[in-house]
Amino acid sequence: MYSLNKGTLLEIKNLVMSFGGLKAVNDLSFDIKEDEIVGLIGPNGAGKTTVFNCITQFYDDKEGIILLRNKMGEVVNLNDVHVNKVIKEGLVRTFQNVELVGDLSIIDNLLIGAHSLYTTDIIANIFRTKKAKQEEQKFIEKAEGILRFMGIYHLKDQYAGGQPYGILKKIGIARTLMSDPKLIILDEPAAGLNEQETGELSDLIISIKNNYKCSVLLVEHDMGFVMQVCDRICAISFGKFLAMDTPEKIQSNPIVQEAYLGKDED
Amino acid sequence: MENIKNNKTPNFFSKLLKPITIASKYMKNKLEKSMYSRFVLFGVLISLVPVLSNLDIIRYSTVSLIAYIVIFTIVALGLNILLGFSGLMSLGTAGFVGFGAYGVVYFSALGLPYELAIITTLLFSSLIGLFIGLFSLKVEGVYLAIATLALGEIFSQVFRRVVWFTNAFGGVHYEYPTLFGLIQLNRNWTFVFLVVVMVIMMIVMYNLTNSKTGRAFMAMSRSNSSAQAMGVSIAKYRLLSFLIATLYATIGGILFASFYRYVQPLDWNLMLTLLILAMVVVGGIKSIFGTFLGVFVIYGVPSLWLEDLFTGVYGVAYIFSGVLIIVVIMYYPHGIIYIIQDIKKLYHKYKNGEFKFQKNKEVNKDV
Repeated sequence: MYSLNKGTLLEIKNLVMSFGGLKAVNDLSFDIKEDEIVGLIGPNGAGKTTVFNCITQFYDDKEGIILLRNKMGEVVNLNDVHVNKVIKEGLVRTFQNVELVGDLSIIDNLLIGAHSLYTTDIIANIFRTKKAKQEEQKFIEKAEGILRFMGIYHLKDQYAGGQPYGILKKIGIARTLMSDPKLIILDEPAAGLNEQETGELSDLIISIKNNYKCSVLLVEHDMGFVMQVCDRICAISFGKFLAMDTPEKIQSNPIVQEAYLGKDED
Repeated sequence: MENIKNNKTPNFFSKLLKPITIASKYMKNKLEKSMYSRFVLFGVLISLVPVLSNLDIIRYSTVSLIAYIVIFTIVALGLNILLGFSGLMSLGTAGFVGFGAYGVVYFSALGLPYELAIITTLLFSSLIGLFIGLFSLKVEGVYLAIATLALGEIFSQVFRRVVWFTNAFGGVHYEYPTLFGLIQLNRNWTFVFLVVVMVIMMIVMYNLTNSKTGRAFMAMSRSNSSAQAMGVSIAKYRLLSFLIATLYATIGGILFASFYRYVQPLDWNLMLTLLILAMVVVGGIKSIFGTFLGVFVIYGVPSLWLEDLFTGVYGVAYIFSGVLIIVVIMYYPHGIIYIIQDIKKLYHKYKNGEFKFQKNKEVNKDV
């Protein structure tokens, strides 16, 4: 029914989202290719997080089409998918303020990320059947692998609550990897991190792309970080598309400069 | 050092004690490995209460009191799943306990065998539980509490006024259960039956909360949107947690009718609901043994000891238990079960020789 060009993972067409009279996202279109890191930038209030929430179906009354090539290779319109089924299609997100379960261990937080992959039901859980145990073990091993990859394996049995912010951000990203995603959406991954942590994070995101064969879409205010990590950048302002290009070209794009710095009136 | 000493003087008693030490080591090993055996051992210890009563070590009435604790542990476990894990509030618990008690009596009176009466009661109460679950999808937090409060009040009025179901203020009589139409239980065996059910419910809760389902509950209670993004269906898991809490409460009610053999309408009020809530909060949110401890502190301590201490002055026991609750909440806001952890820590400190009684001089400096 829907189709995507070869190599395209996600395509947003004419997305409109209004809150009352305000159009937070106004006729926005862009696409993400497979194995690509795309940054979404824009001044404060440009509607970046709204775009994220639209893609992950947190808002119902939006217009436009959001096409995704899902895990099975089929093209689906995400607008037809319920918010808690989006992860099954291979699209997973993090949140600006992390949103982990503080009173669970780090590894249990990762297992929440695998929730959509579990096949056993509550009855099997109550009786702790052999199948349920095996499945649990399988995901624990997977989680341990991911924690090793992220370099926080030694913390796995500690509570997530009370960990430093940098670790929390890492757990949030590790949790998304549990669901075998095709596309990870990161909402301000570097916010609240110091310079060294930001540097580590940019290496980490690039190695996630290479090791887990997935694309990344991220919103971030730290321009240095965005320029370093992203293959392409999409700039928006007041919900409208400005430009989408490589980091170098976006930096020198007069329209983007105008949106960030204001018009030169002389 | 100690080993050398023992080798030098291999006395008669150590030989005699050897099988016991081996057995206790085996038990210790087993207990550390599996939570199940802890629950079972706990159940076995509680089941010994009627034996103590038969040997005249404890009073006959104490068995009834401990049965009450066992029954309300089950009820409180359900509320603990709802409140502690799913973060949902219900003030209708007592209503469901009452419904369970009346239901099993009513369906038995219709001629159903004990097991079928239980199943029918559970079916009806789970329907009501699902209804509240649906309701909870629309209302949040304090409003949900008020809505369930109203439901509890409806229950309480039904128990007083619907004569064909509850015989109003006359109450209804019941008898000790007959299992599978064959085994007629007496008072002591009914007590054991309660304990067996409690242990099963503890194991069910343990399995449930340490699985994908329990984690989904917790994810949901901390952040709806984050849980949804991880694929947790809020509707499904809210319904599920209300269903579970309802079933636990109803089972508690059924056991209440089975052990006390008399149900009267005034017991199932808001006061009882709040006490159950206090049991969960004081005992330990999310803790299974903590819940038992909470029931024991809230109900057992005043009835077991304090009332004896202050015979003649009615109500003093309850003042003491009120003070106890306040103190516990002040110093152990996550539940008294954490006292045990603190004691363990102190013990380890003492063992390692770090434990000293010392005055805190730094505080004085600042002043």
